[in-house]
Amino acid sequence: MTGSMGTGASGVRDGDTLEMADKLRWSAKFFNSGNDQRKTVTFGDSSAVRSLPLWSLLSLVLVIAFWFLSTQAWGLSSDLIAVPDSLAEDGVTYDDLSDKQRISICSQSDECKASYSQLVSPLQFPSLRDTWNTFGELNGEGFRGITLWEHTKASLVRVLKGMGFGTLFGVPIGFAMGLSSRARGFFDTPVEMLRPIPPLALIPLFILIFGIGDASAVPLLIFASLWIMIIASRSGVQAASLSKIRAAYSLGASKRQLLFRVLLPNALPELFTGFRVALGVSWGTLVAAEIIGSQDGLGAMIFAARPFFRLDVIVVGIIVIAVLGVLMDILLRFLESKLIPWRGKG
Amino acid sequence: MKDLSVKNVDMVYDVPGGTDVHALSNVSFDLEGGRLLSLLGPSGCGKTTLLNILAGFLAPTGGTVTLSGDLITGPDKHRGMVFQQGALFEWLTVEQNITFGPRMNRDDKAGFGARAQELLEIVGLGGFGDKRIYELSGGMQQRVALARCLANDPDVILMDEPLGALDALTREKMQSLILELWKETGKTIILVTHSVEEALYLGDRLFVMAPRPGRVDQDYSLPFAEQGLTMDARELKRSPEFRAKSEEILNIIWEMEEEIMGRTEGAA
Repeated sequence: MTGSMGTGASGVRDGDTLEMADKLRWSAKFFNSGNDQRKTVTFGDSSAVRSLPLWSLLSLVLVIAFWFLSTQAWGLSSDLIAVPDSLAEDGVTYDDLSDKQRISICSQSDECKASYSQLVSPLQFPSLRDTWNTFGELNGEGFRGITLWEHTKASLVRVLKGMGFGTLFGVPIGFAMGLSSRARGFFDTPVEMLRPIPPLALIPLFILIFGIGDASAVPLLIFASLWIMIIASRSGVQAASLSKIRAAYSLGASKRQLLFRVLLPNALPELFTGFRVALGVSWGTLVAAEIIGSQDGLGAMIFAARPFFRLDVIVVGIIVIAVLGVLMDILLRFLESKLIPWRGKG
Repeated sequence: MKDLSVKNVDMVYDVPGGTDVHALSNVSFDLEGGRLLSLLGPSGCGKTTLLNILAGFLAPTGGTVTLSGDLITGPDKHRGMVFQQGALFEWLTVEQNITFGPRMNRDDKAGFGARAQELLEIVGLGGFGDKRIYELSGGMQQRVALARCLANDPDVILMDEPLGALDALTREKMQSLILELWKETGKTIILVTHSVEEALYLGDRLFVMAPRPGRVDQDYSLPFAEQGLTMDARELKRSPEFRAKSEEILNIIWEMEEEIMGRTEGAA
């Protein structure tokens, strides 16, 4: 290593300190903002603040711990709970009973009721254990004959269809509005009038016109994403600098080539932003649409569980929706870094 | 052959609710192929307007511009343009940027790669073909813009303050590069600049333009660009002849500025 100056700010390093520096870097990634160790002013410097994975993990652990601790029946004893005969005949033991069943049985005797303490009753919110078991049950036999995956798939397909058609119609209309004064004039009125309507307000109308299920859900989702994609495409076209357009023409590009080789790729960042916003709105609209007019889908599952007081099913549905939202965002961020690496640079 | 002919060009901008702006008034000149012309003048003298008319981006309100006898009616591949900045295509690699023109014109598909490599070497960016635009510095980006323009083999290269956004050192290097390219390619180059030194160094012909209405005030033929091909740039810029000319032109421009100031003060 002798003579190899400048491998880092500190100059020559031997193997040991290098190894230590690596460890420090690793720990810095999880515990502190390490990268800016040489900065003396960090409080208020937003570039020195980032999301530390360990703390993100901590908040998740805290939520789960709080859930567990508050729904746990402390002091509940299996001796005071008799498995009902109807269930015992089928070989059900105390261990097989859900927390909700245990509390229901327990509430029939005053002695049992006095024996335990619990912050939140499973009749108000499902326990962690019940929710986990329900997750397994929904994956296996499903809820009312439809598995969790089938519900999820139904919802995803609807969102994809809605987003697909919304993009398919929205991008050309937005481009036309960005490129032609006639198209701008023609579409301005309908876009500005229809855009502020919350898609949810149209559910009754769409169900009456198109019927229930996909027939009304997909048009509703197209309605939810169309205006967003139109506006995004329009501003994407307008984002092209005049010098870029002039450069393309003086390099011999035709109008068609300008459109597909310059304006379209140049609009990708805006289109991407529009897509992300539209996806969020679509997802929210979808669940509401399924609650009202559908047999399958996560929204329908959540709503169908309500008359049966299946809080566990409702909570599983909510968690699946949340996880899907996070996964979609991760996927879109990944795509963004691959498709438009120049965003926010130079 | 590749002569540029500008006849009685007028450009009047309509200002809604105000007085019309006379950006160019009766501009006429002929430029033989292979000359290096720089346009200099205070703000508002119509340099950029003239360049945009030559490129075909603007149609003059009066007069004609012809290249090799053909009337210029719109932008085309015969007149390439290098902008101050921001005209490269970020979604393409350096090499794809350079081959953009030939690809649009669908000529000589097989030769794209080799030609791009050659041009990269010429502008001093050998080995940078696969880089993305945002990975390059401002000076390197302007080199790519030059190479992209050359790839189309235009008759005339128009430059709108191509070095305006660069730091002083990069700027000097790029000036030498432009001179070399001019010499090697023998192309007509027309360059708009704010810098008197740059205009002298990169102008074997130099127009000093005057504002309100925009017009060509002085038309110089200069020896410095030729000398710059064999002489060290800094030495040339220090020579008494260069400094005397620089002083002369600065005085002309100062007088114009004073006149403008006087007029606005008088109006106010």
